[in-house]
Amino acid sequence: MPMYGDQGNKLVQHAKRMQNLAHLPPYQTELVRAVTREVRDLDKDVASLLEPFQGSFDPSADQSTACTLLVNHLSMRRNKRCLLAYHRTRTDKLEELVWNGSDVLDLAGQQAGGVANGAAATVDSGASSSLSPQEEDYVRQFGDLLAAYKGQWTDIDLTGSLEPPRDLFIDVRVLKDAGEIQTEYGAINLTKNSQFYVRQGDVERLIAQGYLQKLG
Amino acid sequence: MSYYDIDSILTDAEKIPCTFQLDIPDLGYLDNTPNQPLKAGTKVNLPLWLAEMLVIANTGGPDNKTFVTFDLPRALGNDVVQALKADPRAVPLRDQSAHFYGLATHMMDLSEEQELGSVLRKTFVTRAAEISLHARKVGGGGSKGKGKDEGSNLGIGGAGEDFLRGLDEWERKLFRKAHDGAKSGKEWMESIKKN
Repeated sequence: MPMYGDQGNKLVQHAKRMQNLAHLPPYQTELVRAVTREVRDLDKDVASLLEPFQGSFDPSADQSTACTLLVNHLSMRRNKRCLLAYHRTRTDKLEELVWNGSDVLDLAGQQAGGVANGAAATVDSGASSSLSPQEEDYVRQFGDLLAAYKGQWTDIDLTGSLEPPRDLFIDVRVLKDAGEIQTEYGAINLTKNSQFYVRQGDVERLIAQGYLQKLG
Repeated sequence: MSYYDIDSILTDAEKIPCTFQLDIPDLGYLDNTPNQPLKAGTKVNLPLWLAEMLVIANTGGPDNKTFVTFDLPRALGNDVVQALKADPRAVPLRDQSAHFYGLATHMMDLSEEQELGSVLRKTFVTRAAEISLHARKVGGGGSKGKGKDEGSNLGIGGAGEDFLRGLDEWERKLFRKAHDGAKSGKEWMESIKKN
């Protein structure tokens, strides 16, 4: 027998599983909708329970109604907590991905020119995204926020690697076309399957985003 | 325990046996009979998030009753407590409840079980020592050898796996932390030697 709160619990179990994953599983649109619908139904129940009392409900005079109201209220509160926790777990994960420099919106794997000098900036969302439209918006704006924050220090890359590099220059192979990038030593055109000997600092971001692979 | 804590929310979904103290026409669905009233005296398993408030909420009537009364869940029943007193390491807590300690803490807030607290404290301390022992062993075993009873001179070879399977969610976290700690420590030592 399904009970109020069961759907919300499923949502939280999704969140629990998500905590141990590297990627972000698809947004549970249906489940979220079911839980919000449940809240709306409960609210309607409460309204119709209270209607005959015309705003002068005395709990001690009608204990069974008082108990029903309490149960309804608690169920709504529970659902709210489940919904908020689910979304918060996801946004935490999204923020982490943005900080790591992974191209969150690029999950559909479309070509994006000019990614080279922008962070996870403005890429149009693919058709089969695992984010909800609101989440895509969140990521975009959080990315902008982070870029603005990082912009305050020109000589330090806040999202750069914490590992001190062993070599200044490294060999890289291009895994997918990344367009042209500007370096101190001129422009390099990164076309798929080509190989380059470049300064690590110039391509770190592209490696993190999966465009290049470090060799050796 | 934050409002957003996933484990805390899942703990609140654990059910405890409750008994309703009055007839309630609209709550029949809690006892699988949606179209009939819920009679006083009906026993229903309710999730903590619901039960917790119902057992403390006062009906507001002259006799100062609460809506429901509750019993300790089987996970904290006499059988389990006796087994824990005998040997905390021999009880697979996970079979009782995946959030055993969380459930127990909630129950102690609601009831006045004096003995339970001390039994649980002893249980956790004893098991924590065992957990750390296993965690370090796995960390030291290296990633290549998946041999089950390597280093079983401690007398915890195959039985160790059973023990680890019986950890509740909180203990699992402890195990993971201890294990990761031992592993990172080892990796750090090795990187020092290399340079």
